[in-house]
Amino acid sequence: MPGFPFPGRPGGEHDEPLLDMIIARHVLPPDAPQPMHDLARMLAALAGPAEPGELAGEAAVRAAFNRASSPAGISATARHAGRRRRVRGPARSRARLATALVVAVAGLGSVFAAYIDVLPGPIQQLAHVTVAAPPPPSAKPPRSVTGRTAAATRPADRHSSQPVPRQDASPSPAPVAGQGTPTPNLKLGASRSPGQRVTGPSCGPGPVRSPGPQPKASGHPSPSSWPPGYHCTGLPSGPSALPTLNPYVPLTGTRGR
Amino acid sequence: MIGAAFSVTLTSAQGGDETAFACLFRDVQPALLRYLHVITPEADDVAGETWLQVVKGLPGFRGGEEAFRAWLFTIARHRAVDAGRSRSRRSDVPLAATETLDQPMAPDAAELALEAISTRSVVALIKTLPREHAEIIMLRVVAGLEAADVARIVGKTPGAVRVTAHRALRRLAELAERAGVTH
Repeated sequence: MPGFPFPGRPGGEHDEPLLDMIIARHVLPPDAPQPMHDLARMLAALAGPAEPGELAGEAAVRAAFNRASSPAGISATARHAGRRRRVRGPARSRARLATALVVAVAGLGSVFAAYIDVLPGPIQQLAHVTVAAPPPPSAKPPRSVTGRTAAATRPADRHSSQPVPRQDASPSPAPVAGQGTPTPNLKLGASRSPGQRVTGPSCGPGPVRSPGPQPKASGHPSPSSWPPGYHCTGLPSGPSALPTLNPYVPLTGTRGR
Repeated sequence: MIGAAFSVTLTSAQGGDETAFACLFRDVQPALLRYLHVITPEADDVAGETWLQVVKGLPGFRGGEEAFRAWLFTIARHRAVDAGRSRSRRSDVPLAATETLDQPMAPDAAELALEAISTRSVVALIKTLPREHAEIIMLRVVAGLEAADVARIVGKTPGAVRVTAHRALRRLAELAERAGVTH
């Protein structure tokens, strides 16, 4: 093929513009070497339209396109499942929210109940330890009963069927042993059930049962320091005149008094 | 090449228009398949995987027709490389023998002469070139990509792509003259 510039031959670099025209699919000038025209014709055939069989995969590709273009890109069954999941999602979150609200209300209510001292003894003790709520009545230092009204507000006192002894209205600042006003332990066990007998006198001589620890430096004498033969203030003096806080009397039927 | 209507066609295809997508497919698929026939023996399978990936990424594609073609042929080349690795793992043939098998065999000159100038015969002739030359010719001439795009795909500089393309075309003209394909 005379005149065709092969590489390594003299003048091989002069065909570059023609080669660039072939690559760009431009029409070659008529005076271009015949081999260039043949090469251009061959490559034009290579870049020609589709031949039979070359588009055989169109159906599969279109099916894939349709699957990808569908709303979820998945089958109808899977779409329904997805819808169910979407519906179930908010309901589940609502249930969680309601549960959280119930738990929060119950917790706050428990704390509030602990602070107003209306919980049963063990639970109140637990609240005292955990959330610094007031201690349960059995763990509190014996307080002087300042009057009938105060005594009537005490839950244990409400159970009592006996008259409440009157006490001095003034608080007792660290009375001297044997001279001060003893504070009778009128509180019954917090866990005592109605009808249960009191196992010890709550006011009067003799051993006083104190289920809870006695607080220190509270200004109140401990029951063990009470002198024998004491009497409750405001009541007839003398052992025979002590209020009949009979521990064996069932403490029932006094509610709502 | 679709030309001026490419933007509208692409937008419609991205919106789920199957007809528009078919237009894109019919425009690119012949060049894609011929390119893959040159670089891998599993051209049909790799073409299918390429289109599946194109379908997945089509909604997020941005660019013109040349960018679309460059993106698609880049995917095709990656899938062909993956297919080649998978094939070499499956095969028990030693690596040296595999490379020999992968190297396209030169078609018989008489056989080529009997054929008319068909796409298949030209592809067979191009496969006789060194792999790098054949790939660059296919990407530059058949896929219609710019030298810069081809350079990114094959990992060369645009200048090297241009020089290689020229050499490959000269070599192809030699082969065609010997085989009589162009007569």
